[in-house]
Amino acid sequence: MTPSTPVPAQWPDRYGDELYRFALSRVSDSETAEELVQETFLSALDGLATFRAEASERTWLFIILRRKIIDHYRRQARTTRVGLDEISEGGPTEADFFNPENGHWAAQQTPVSWLNADAALEQQELHEILARCQERLPPQQGAVFAMRFVEELSAEEICQELGLSSANYWVIIHRAKLQLRRCLEKHGLGKN
Amino acid sequence: MLRLITCQNATMLLEQQADHAASKSMPTSLWLHLRYCPYCNRYAKQTVLIAEWAKASATTRANSDMALSEAAKQRMRERLAAAG
Repeated sequence: MTPSTPVPAQWPDRYGDELYRFALSRVSDSETAEELVQETFLSALDGLATFRAEASERTWLFIILRRKIIDHYRRQARTTRVGLDEISEGGPTEADFFNPENGHWAAQQTPVSWLNADAALEQQELHEILARCQERLPPQQGAVFAMRFVEELSAEEICQELGLSSANYWVIIHRAKLQLRRCLEKHGLGKN
Repeated sequence: MLRLITCQNATMLLEQQADHAASKSMPTSLWLHLRYCPYCNRYAKQTVLIAEWAKASATTRANSDMALSEAAKQRMRERLAAAG
C-alpha cells in the first residue's frame, strides 16, 4: 500500500465536517468549534514534518483537535482560577445542598428517585437537557467535568493540566455533580 | 472505632470511590452510611448515570449531521494557503 501524503488544501473538504462535529460536541457554540478546527489545520500544517505516513491522516488530525479541545478547557478553567477558599465565587457551595450544622442533605435538596430515568425522557431530550445544565456550570467546574467525564482524562492528568491540588479537584467535581443532579431534576428527571 | 460520616462526606467519598472502583474497596464508613441513608443511595446511582450520559451525549452530538458552511471551509482553505 502506498503511504498517503497529506494534502493540506484538501483538509477542509475531506475532514472539516467530521472534525467540526467532534468539536461541536465538546464546546457550546459553533464559532468556537469552527475556530478549533481552523487551529487544528494550522497546527497540522506546522507539524507536517512530524506526520508519519503509516498513521492515518484522519487519526492524526483528531489527535491534534483533541489537544486543542483540552487547551480550550484549560483556558476556560483559568478564566475563573480560584483557590480552595474562593471556589464559592464560582457558584453554589456545599452549604446550598447540605445542612451546615450536621452535614446531612438540606430539606429541599434530598435526591428524589429517578426510577425509570431512561424512560422518563426521550434520549435526545435527556442529552439536550444535560448539555444545557453543563453550560450553566461555572466555567471552571464545566471544564473539569468535561475533561473527566467526556474526555476521560484521569484526575492526575486534570490536576496537572489545570495546576489544581487534589483536594481542590475533588471539591470542584463534587460541586459540579451536585449542581448537575439538581439541574436535571429541575428539568424533568424524578417527576416520573 | 468506626467513624460515622455525614451525607456531605459520603457523596464526596462516592465521587472519589468512582475513580478508584477497580483498585480500592469501599471504605467501611461509606458502606455503612449507604446502608441507612436512602438519599445517598440514590445519589450513588445518579452520579454514575450523569457521568454515563455526559459521554453518551457528546458521542451522539459528534455523530450528528452538522456540517461546516461552505464559507467556513473557504476561509480555512485561504488560511491554509496563506500559511503554507
